[in-house]
Parts: sequence; C-alpha cells; structure tokens
Amino acid sequence: MIHAEQLTKLYGSDVCALRDVSMRVDKGEFVFITGPSGAGKTTLLRLLLCQERPTSGRLVVTGRDLTALTRLQIQAYRRAVGFVFQDFKLIPGKTVFENVIFVPRILGLPDQHQIRRTYQVLKWVGLQHCINAYPAQISGGEQQRVAIARALVNDPALILADEPTGNLDPDLAYEIMSLFRDINASGTTVLVATHDRELIRRVGRRTITLTQGRAAQG
Amino acid sequence: MMRALQYFVAEAMVSLWRGRRAGALSIVTIATAVFVLGSFLVLASNLDRAARSWGAAAEISVYLRDEISAGEKAAIEQILAGSPLVAAREDVSKGEALRRFRELFPDLAGAAAALPDNPFPASVEVRLRPGSTAGEPVEALVRQLERQAGVADVQYDRRWLDRLASISAVVRWTGFVLALLLGGAAALTVANVVRLALYARREEIEIMQLVGAPLPRIRGPFVAEGILQGGAGSVLALLALAAAYVIVDVRLSGALGRIAGGLTLQFLPASLCVALLLGGMAVGCLGGLVAARGVR
Repeated sequence: MIHAEQLTKLYGSDVCALRDVSMRVDKGEFVFITGPSGAGKTTLLRLLLCQERPTSGRLVVTGRDLTALTRLQIQAYRRAVGFVFQDFKLIPGKTVFENVIFVPRILGLPDQHQIRRTYQVLKWVGLQHCINAYPAQISGGEQQRVAIARALVNDPALILADEPTGNLDPDLAYEIMSLFRDINASGTTVLVATHDRELIRRVGRRTITLTQGRAAQG
Repeated sequence: MMRALQYFVAEAMVSLWRGRRAGALSIVTIATAVFVLGSFLVLASNLDRAARSWGAAAEISVYLRDEISAGEKAAIEQILAGSPLVAAREDVSKGEALRRFRELFPDLAGAAAALPDNPFPASVEVRLRPGSTAGEPVEALVRQLERQAGVADVQYDRRWLDRLASISAVVRWTGFVLALLLGGAAALTVANVVRLALYARREEIEIMQLVGAPLPRIRGPFVAEGILQGGAGSVLALLALAAAYVIVDVRLSGALGRIAGGLTLQFLPASLCVALLLGGMAVGCLGGLVAARGVR
C-alpha cells in the first residue's frame, strides 16, 4: 500500500524534516507513526497527501509514484485517500450533514448516492442524532467523528490521520482510536501519526518511530 | 453536466448571500456600466430612426422673396419641372405657412398674431424621388436654385440629416467607450468581490483540494458567482432604463411628436436587451474567472 524509499525532505538548505526514511505499510494494516514534536510526522503525512514533494527518494502509494504525479493525477489519488486532522478542519457554516455530504457533492457523485452514503457513515460513527447541528454546537469528540465520517464517505482505500486525538481527553481519544480500529477491521489501511505513547500501547499496533527525521520500526 | 451547473449556481447563490454587501457593490457597478451603454444606445437608435424616416421623405424648401416677379417664379418652376430628381412640388403661400405654424406651435400662435405683418415667406416644397436624396446631382440642383433671382433661401434636409447621422455615430461611440471603461471597472470590482469570497472560503477550498476535487469544480462556483452578479446588474440596469424611458416618453412624447414630425421615442429592441444582459454576464464571468484563477 505505502512504500517509501530513502525519502528525504529538506526545507531550504539546512532544515531537514525527513532523512533517508524507508518504510513499508501493507494493505489492510493499521500503523502508528510516532515520535516527539518536530520529528517529521506531519511532514511525512504532507508528502503522503501530495501537499509537498520530497527532495529526494521514492514514495509509492497504491501503486502510484507520488513524486511524479501530475496535478490531475494528484486529484485522482486524493479521491482514494481519506484524511483526518488534529484541528478537525470542519466548515463552521455547514451542519454536520453538510460537512460530510460536501465531499461526494464536490466530486459530482449522484444525489441518491451522496445522501445514502452520508447517512450511512454518520450512523456508523454514531452521529445520527446531531446531523443538523453546526460544529460549534457539538463536542470535540463529536467534531472529530464528523471529520472521520467525512474521510470515510468516499470509501477510501487509505486513511491518514495527523494527531487525530491531540485535542481530546484520554477517554475520548481511546474512543476515536477504537473507531479507527473498526475502520481498519473493514479492510481500510490506516496510518495514524501521534505522539501519545500511552494510546499506542493501549491500541497495540505496529509503530514506526521518527526521531529527528529518521525512521525506526517498532 | 446539468448537475455540475446546478451545483455551481447553488454554491454561488449561497456565497452571494453570505457576501451580499460586497456583492451589491459589484452588481451596482455592472448596472451602472450597462445603464450608461443602454442609455446611449436608446438615444443613438432613436436618432438613427429619425434620420432614416426623414431621409426617406427628404425635401428641398425654396423660400421666395416677397417681391418675386411672375417671370422669376416661372423660371424656378421651369427648373423644377425639367429636373429628373423632382417627384412632386407644392406651392406654399405666405398665408398657408402661417396657418401651418399656428397648427404646429399653438403656444406661439399668439406671438405670431401680435406681429403687424405675416413674417413667413412663401415657398415651394420640392419632394425628391426615392433614391435621389443624396449626392452631387441634388447638390447641383440646390446650387442652381440658390443662384436664381427671387429666391431668398434654399433649405435642403439632407445636410442636417447628415449632421444628425454624424451626431448619432458620435453618441453611439461615446456610449461604447464609456461602457468599455465602466465595464472594465465593473470586471475589476467583481474580481475583487469574488476574491473576498475566495478568502472567506479558503478553508473550504483547502478541504476541496485535499479530497481531490477537480479544479473546474472548485473554480466553477466562483465563476458562476461573477456571472450571477453580472446578470443581476444587467437586469437592474434594464429595469432602470425602462423606468427612465417611460418617464421621458410620458413627459416629452407630445413635444417630441411635434418637433420630430410624429415620430415617437422607442425603447431598445428585445435582441439588444438580451445582448446587454449577456454583455453584463460576460463582464461578471470575466471578473469571476480572474479571481478563480487564484485557486491552483
């Protein structure tokens, strides 16, 4: 699913975010990327989302070499990937339902499919009771569930999550991780970046540790 | 395709409603440009119509001196009878000229009556054959009549009809130039308003990009927003133009009819209204495109 080979990312000439990172994540795996702040977790996820290009090395995801994708190919690739961020990135002026249906709508999927699939994922993440609420009217845990529903609505092969529990208390964090575990159990590959060692221990999955831009398998 | 268009329009409407104050600014700017162009077009098309109508019935008026002799009058009639350009002629006596004046300008009839003598000269009104109302032969006939003894003055409609046509062209071109300048300003205003909308929705756009939305799908609503602003501005301008037309027509139709020989003021034809509407939408579209190019 993900194959990185001697991946390096430099900002300017002297700031090295990633250095010769090689890693492999198989299809259907649940893998944690961990490490202290500034270790390169977010940079790795940004490379995986094609928000940036690596300075050198190869990064192949679902058979696509991300270092060589054109803009149109990046758009097609991103449709196969779901993402979840620490700050949820919900649109404040849209309801829970609108925040989720927004994705199939912008992709131009048929109306019936949009509505059915949106209800389905919102029910799946346990938010069927607040579909008409605005993000500001629900809790942080619920907001993150909306973000997860939005990531799932397009039925992606891969979910990338950058510190998805960073703004949540430990119980809510574990609840969200359980949700990721369920997503993974349905066959979706999940890659979660977190610095929360305790959470990783409780979930108990393979871990790749980044330290000062270098990777070590855990 | 239809679904995409529906999506663009629906999103554009929401965005317009959110930024309605700034949107109103671009709508008014476009409306001003279209109104100016429309006003000049109404004026120019009515001048053209008047020139065409009068041109078809062009006349030479030969004003005679009060002391003209029978021989001099006969010489003039001989020239007119022998000219192939002349279709018909009518003698208008001093009394008939005064009667026509009283009929055309009843308000001034009292003033004319107060004069000791009839000030209007007798004349011969010469109607030219269709197709011979312009050119050197007519000018030659006019010059020949002007040289004739007993003739006080010769007025040839065509000279001022040509002047009217020139004025009409100047009016039309002035309108186009003004509309071009105002249209440019309107496009820039739309671009800035759409840019504000882009800025307000930057997080939404970022998410669209992250989910792999095609670029035309992201830009589409912003272009649609520009087009809607242009359309709304044009409709506003056409309504204002129609209102102005009704006011002018009601207040001035009587006076215009008397001055312009029964001609009435006409509004723009439907095809030109549609063209103005489409033009406004094109200006809005241009502004939307300029702004939407910012999304990469």
